[in-house]
Amino acid sequence: MTDLHLTTQRTPAGSVLAVAGDLDHDSAGRFRGAVALIALQPGQLLTVDFGGLTFCDSSGITALIAARNQVHEQGADIVLTEVPAVTVRILRLLGLDQIFRIQPVPGADTDPVG
Amino acid sequence: MDVVSRNNVTVTGQTGAPVIMLAHGFGCDQNMWHLVVPVLAERFQVVLFDYVGSGRSDLTAWDQQRYGSLDGYATDVLEICSELELSDVVFVGHSVSAMVGVVAAAREPQRFGKLVMVAPSPCYIDDPRTDYVGGFSAADIDELLESLDSNYLGWAAAMAPVIMGNPDRPELGQELTNSFCATDPGMAAVFARTTFLSDSRSELASVRVPTLVLECAQDAIAPREVGAFVHAAVPGSRLVTLEATGHCPQLSAPQATAREISAFAGAAR
Amino acid sequence: MCGTTDGESDRADRSAHDKDQDQEPGREQDKDSDASGDDVHDAERAQFSALLEDSAEDLYDNAPCGYLSTLLDGRIAKVNTTLLDWLGHTRAELVGRKRFSDLLTVGGRLYHETHFAPLLAMQGQVSGIALELKAADGSRLPVLVTSVVKTGTDGQPLLIRTTVFDARDRRAYEQELLRARKEAERAQEVAEAERMRLHQVLAILQNSLLPPALPEVPGMEAAAYYHTASADQLGGDFYDLFALGDGRWGFFLGDVCGKGPEAAAVTSLIRYTLRAASLHAGDPAQALDTLNAALLERYTGNDPRYCTTIAGTLTPRGGDLHVTVASGGHPPALLLRADGTAHYLPTPGGMLVGIMPRPHFTPATTVLRPGDTMLLYTDGLTEARTADGPRYSEEALHAFAGTLAPAGAQQTVNAMTGLLESFGDGLDDDTALLALGIPAPDTHTGGAR
Repeated sequence: MTDLHLTTQRTPAGSVLAVAGDLDHDSAGRFRGAVALIALQPGQLLTVDFGGLTFCDSSGITALIAARNQVHEQGADIVLTEVPAVTVRILRLLGLDQIFRIQPVPGADTDPVG
Repeated sequence: MDVVSRNNVTVTGQTGAPVIMLAHGFGCDQNMWHLVVPVLAERFQVVLFDYVGSGRSDLTAWDQQRYGSLDGYATDVLEICSELELSDVVFVGHSVSAMVGVVAAAREPQRFGKLVMVAPSPCYIDDPRTDYVGGFSAADIDELLESLDSNYLGWAAAMAPVIMGNPDRPELGQELTNSFCATDPGMAAVFARTTFLSDSRSELASVRVPTLVLECAQDAIAPREVGAFVHAAVPGSRLVTLEATGHCPQLSAPQATAREISAFAGAAR
Repeated sequence: MCGTTDGESDRADRSAHDKDQDQEPGREQDKDSDASGDDVHDAERAQFSALLEDSAEDLYDNAPCGYLSTLLDGRIAKVNTTLLDWLGHTRAELVGRKRFSDLLTVGGRLYHETHFAPLLAMQGQVSGIALELKAADGSRLPVLVTSVVKTGTDGQPLLIRTTVFDARDRRAYEQELLRARKEAERAQEVAEAERMRLHQVLAILQNSLLPPALPEVPGMEAAAYYHTASADQLGGDFYDLFALGDGRWGFFLGDVCGKGPEAAAVTSLIRYTLRAASLHAGDPAQALDTLNAALLERYTGNDPRYCTTIAGTLTPRGGDLHVTVASGGHPPALLLRADGTAHYLPTPGGMLVGIMPRPHFTPATTVLRPGDTMLLYTDGLTEARTADGPRYSEEALHAFAGTLAPAGAQQTVNAMTGLLESFGDGLDDDTALLALGIPAPDTHTGGAR
């Protein structure tokens, strides 16, 4: 169990939200809160850096979907970067690779079974 | 559950000899008999025990429902008799235990040969309707129960007396004095309630075995009127008044007590 | 500790008293004949003596504690003024007429009989016993009592000396502690009872969210299992098996995101929507479309709710069962074949149900023959933490199924349940299992090999 650690950084293109630790039932609320505080202009980009992500459950997925909805409402877009192999597999299984732009960690095996 | 360990049963004395079972009353445990046991053990086999909730009995076996009535205690006695395969027992009951003996003997008469009631009382509360003197008013008993509930009196561990060692009487051993009649206060309160609120006067007539009533000349807990009542109510009983003060002659006049029990137990029917 | 006196040593003390009062014989003369130095000393000494409680009588009678001496049978022989004042008795009322235990409350008398007196006889002294004395006006005085047996020169016990300390403050403090403890115990009892009640309510509720029993399907064996991660929360997994009316059967199994009552409420909506949709839909994918629309409509952007689900139909044909499934982001079904092999039924690319307006649900078909079993499961099984640390994976499940096959539906569920139990605390998610199989030709339903 690793506590969730979030850092936000503004860039010319938008914002980068770095996520480290467990994104789960207990911490999903904080993730949502952090996203809610990010104001984006139309055409800008929210980059969610999952490089430090250690765990993600269905509450985390829900929070991610809610984040996507929020970003789209502002006319902006979202991309997931440095996504760990395990998480990519889950996203693929859930069909979320069809609605999220995902950049996995380079060189990882990300094919789901079946 | 193993009855012998549950009730901290001790068997001593002469194997094969007639059995005397010593049953403690409220407020103490089998330790209260320690002065009479050596005398009785010379001629008899002596069985001692602690009711569940007292002394070193297995407190995990405590059942508030069961031990809230004299029947529950009688069941302890009968289960011990069954476990040790006893019959024709001389049951010696102190105070309320005398009534436990009456109840047990009514349920399984074949187990018991004789009954000795030491400072017995079938009912502690005065009954003015029948001119019965129990020794206490209802208000007295209320006060007693209320004070037990509030844990005073040293029953509670927090108020346990500091018992010093006994260099003059080394034969007693540190263990005896440190644990003398220690009791769980919650369970003591239930036992007290059962003891002091019960009325077994009508059960006395059911006794079918030879009975000895041993009372003390000066007993504030079971006054002389009670001894007389019991003697009159138990068919064919014998009454002996010990020249002793207090409610526990087995402690205050152990020689006389042991003598009377021994003589009664050893006599032909 | 204050000294005590009794009748015996009174005489000795009195003479000491007298001695202190009288000056030494030679002194008077000296005082008269000498000059100032001795005068000052004498005056100081006289003043000093006057300040001292040098009267043993006074010391005994007005001590800050109560003193009592009794014969061995408890009869009061001597009592000091302090104790008399506390009790509101006169000396005449007590000495020779009352016993020490007469001064105690009923409970105190009992304790005195069964503990105090025997211990005193056994060891010659007892100290620090908490008792309550009854005053003449009926009020109760909490005290601490210490008694010592005084023996004669031949070692025989003669009398009992007792010291009585006022314990009112200590008693009040103690009662406060006891009251606080009782309150805490009560609060704990109430909390425990509440918790029990909650568990009971949850259990009833949970049962209502699941099918009471699986229907009997001719020629088929079905078995199910449901485990909630926490007794304090309702689960978010769901499953069902039901007749479609024309000899066909519908089934589904899935997992709502989240936990607790919000997730459980969604399972209810999902079950009833999917059942109804399956009855009218042309194929399972269409049923999932309907469910998707229902969830989208019900739950909006800020509070998205989705589920993963696998839904399908069973069509009996000449002893076999033709299976059509569609998967909405759910782990693939596992097939245990009669020939001892096990493999997944691939349904990649299906999407979560309830998130997108036009999702894709991946269809697949297969045939179950006698001796085959299909297992549906939620990711509580594949997400469990194992004893070694890493989560149990789909590969591990595949391997395990391989050792199990061939197996009937109940046998499969039992084996999986055993596997779940072996995870112990590693199982931190809800888990649902549904196994559908055709019994092997020469066995009874679900019989073992």
